[in-house]
Amino acid sequence: MTMNDLPLHGIRVVDLSWIIAGPTSTRFLAGMGAEVIKVGSARRPDPSTGSPPFQAYNQSKSYCSLNISDPQGLELVKQLLAISDVVIENFAVGVIERLGLSYEVVRAQRPDIIMVSSSGTGHTGPDKDYVAYGSLLQHYTGWNSISGNPQGEPVAGGLWADPWVGMELAMVTAAALNNRALTGQGQYVDFSMAEALSAALPGAILDYQMNDRVPELMGNRDAFYAPHGVYHCAGPDRWVAIAVTNDEEWNALCHLIQRPDLGSDSRFAGLDGRRKHQDELDAAISKWTILYEDYEATRLLQEAGVPSGPSLDITRVFNEPQLRDSGYLKPLQMRDDELRDLPGLPWRFDGGDGPNLTEAPVLGQHNEYVYQELLGLSVDETNRLVEEQAIY
Amino acid sequence: MVAGLLPGVRVLDVGQGISAPYCAKILAHMGAEVIKVEPPEGDEARRIGPFPGDTPHPEKSGLFLALNVNKYGVSLDLASTDGAKALKTLVAGADIIIENPPPDTLEANGLGYETLRSINPRLIFTSITPFGNRGPYKDFKATDLVIHHMSGHAQGLLGAVEDPDSNPPIRAGGHQAELVGGMAAATATLMALYRKRMTGKGSRIDISSFEAMVNQHISGLASSAYGRPAPPRDLAKVQEAASAGNVGAIGGILPCKDGYVAVSPREDVQWERWLGIMGDPEWATDDRYTTRDARQRNSPSLWKLLSEWSSNYSKHEIARWGQEQRIPCFAVNTVLDLLKDEHLAQREFFVELSHSEAGTLKYPGAAYRFSHAQLPLAARPAPLLGEHNRSILENLA
Repeated sequence: MTMNDLPLHGIRVVDLSWIIAGPTSTRFLAGMGAEVIKVGSARRPDPSTGSPPFQAYNQSKSYCSLNISDPQGLELVKQLLAISDVVIENFAVGVIERLGLSYEVVRAQRPDIIMVSSSGTGHTGPDKDYVAYGSLLQHYTGWNSISGNPQGEPVAGGLWADPWVGMELAMVTAAALNNRALTGQGQYVDFSMAEALSAALPGAILDYQMNDRVPELMGNRDAFYAPHGVYHCAGPDRWVAIAVTNDEEWNALCHLIQRPDLGSDSRFAGLDGRRKHQDELDAAISKWTILYEDYEATRLLQEAGVPSGPSLDITRVFNEPQLRDSGYLKPLQMRDDELRDLPGLPWRFDGGDGPNLTEAPVLGQHNEYVYQELLGLSVDETNRLVEEQAIY
Repeated sequence: MVAGLLPGVRVLDVGQGISAPYCAKILAHMGAEVIKVEPPEGDEARRIGPFPGDTPHPEKSGLFLALNVNKYGVSLDLASTDGAKALKTLVAGADIIIENPPPDTLEANGLGYETLRSINPRLIFTSITPFGNRGPYKDFKATDLVIHHMSGHAQGLLGAVEDPDSNPPIRAGGHQAELVGGMAAATATLMALYRKRMTGKGSRIDISSFEAMVNQHISGLASSAYGRPAPPRDLAKVQEAASAGNVGAIGGILPCKDGYVAVSPREDVQWERWLGIMGDPEWATDDRYTTRDARQRNSPSLWKLLSEWSSNYSKHEIARWGQEQRIPCFAVNTVLDLLKDEHLAQREFFVELSHSEAGTLKYPGAAYRFSHAQLPLAARPAPLLGEHNRSILENLA
């Protein structure tokens, strides 16, 4: 896709968000062609500033420095909102209003603007002021109560609430843009991170109502498919995940591990039979997997038609050839003179490679563009505002 | 107020299972008219529970019911001439078609992208597969379990363990990989729909659930790009790092009378207030715990002391005390806790729907409220198999 072909070409986004969820959402919009102007201040820097993740969260954005707590700074952000289509913020509930940028104020600058406000537990309700970090919030959402080993403690982490929410915020923004294109109507969106995660637990929520039970913890096992687990491969802490979803895959697996006797044993016919005898089957499969490296086991299993793959840590994920051949990880020349493979967007349009994202900016890098080109300030005026720490 | 954000948008959901139906459900929530096209034997999710009394019934699968609310339903045998013809007619009047084929079902029936585009040049064709349509794994078979492990998410779920070789990484419960794939598809599809509105262009969208899950690891990928090592899974190595001062903020799960509570009084001011909640215990003046740095170095022994205290109280009690003192603190909720939660109730998060076979149930709604549109979250329950064959298919002819 050329720049003009990108779906959000022509859309301008003011990004008041910080930390992870908000910046990852505007990254999707920027990658898809929107002009995203990140607004930040040295007074209260984005916590990820200076870290490698910042380089990924903020690709393809412009970055201006602006102290919104200063009355002149507030005036500048209002001028910017007047020429923008979307504004996204993820401050604690009440902060954006205290800064003087409630939806009423924002809408007065630009009547059809789409304002997306994301917080831990949403902007209404008795617990709206709860202090939330994504890693803790996921415990509230129910997710951690359905994950873990049988009779074990609830799991410590693993859900990555913030990037999940980031994608959903981009989705919501795209939905609102569609509506605005059709009707001319802007929106204020009240978004709850906790609800985004709880909404993705449909099975467990209905199971409770149908059967009066909280789902039991199953480790790697499944309520439906069997065998279903990870199996030790050659080498320390090396595992291959195998999920058998039907009789055909079961027979293929038995053939591969040279146990045709299991395949013809009527006790193991059908998912129900295999679920009842998982310990026995797991032991037989492990005797085969331990002979192979995890990638080699995967290759043999996939050739036989059995769903499988290695259990990877992030370093090995990063080194996956699949992610380069599919065009997801692409080398980017960075200002530290290094060529680094940074993530792209998790979708491809029209058989292409996906857009080329540009390097994350530094604070204030686009001040001249924003204040002089977009807002029409003179150089002298800009310098005065820098002096007075409004542009700061 | 307008019902939904996508009036007049017509979506065909020819997917099965989880990822594509979830994508289509999101569009239905947003107000699109979604027609679910099932094979004569029904979507495979109808065979996956939970079922009332654990008795399989094609109209009572909790998973199917939840993933297909607000859709119309028709059944079509796409391998038959009549079925293929009916689908083509539906495609001619659709904006979007979503599939998650076990390799090439539409294609195998002569209904691939090129054919459908010749019928409807402005069609948005969204395809979700485990690894997308390119790269060495494009033909690999995978499930939620496999993608969870391959994308690196299983490694961190348990936290550090004493003996990694006897305590393998585990996946999260639920169907996270397929849901994230579905959300990525909905996001890309809505962007394509916007482009179609502005330029008239159709799109072909290729989604890899693996990539969508890998993308959730954006922080870790960036760190890898800067040569940072993966966090260890071995407890001894983690403790070594902790005593060297190389771990992040303290935080974690404490046992309670009735479950667990998650808490992170990481900043000094939060720690002071947390001590207040615990009644300023004597051990707090011990040098091992007086600074943030010291607490992080000594977090194993510290966590034992906190656990002794927390075991005397309920999880909701501690969560409330913590939050009253502005300390990030949450009960480890079960789905029962969610269904009873006063905050979610006041926000009307759960949506009640009556289904002719499955009865009246509460379904999770949406995480978003729009100021100028009412989302049709309770427009209709999931369709019975072939429920709208008459009203939709007979009108085509």
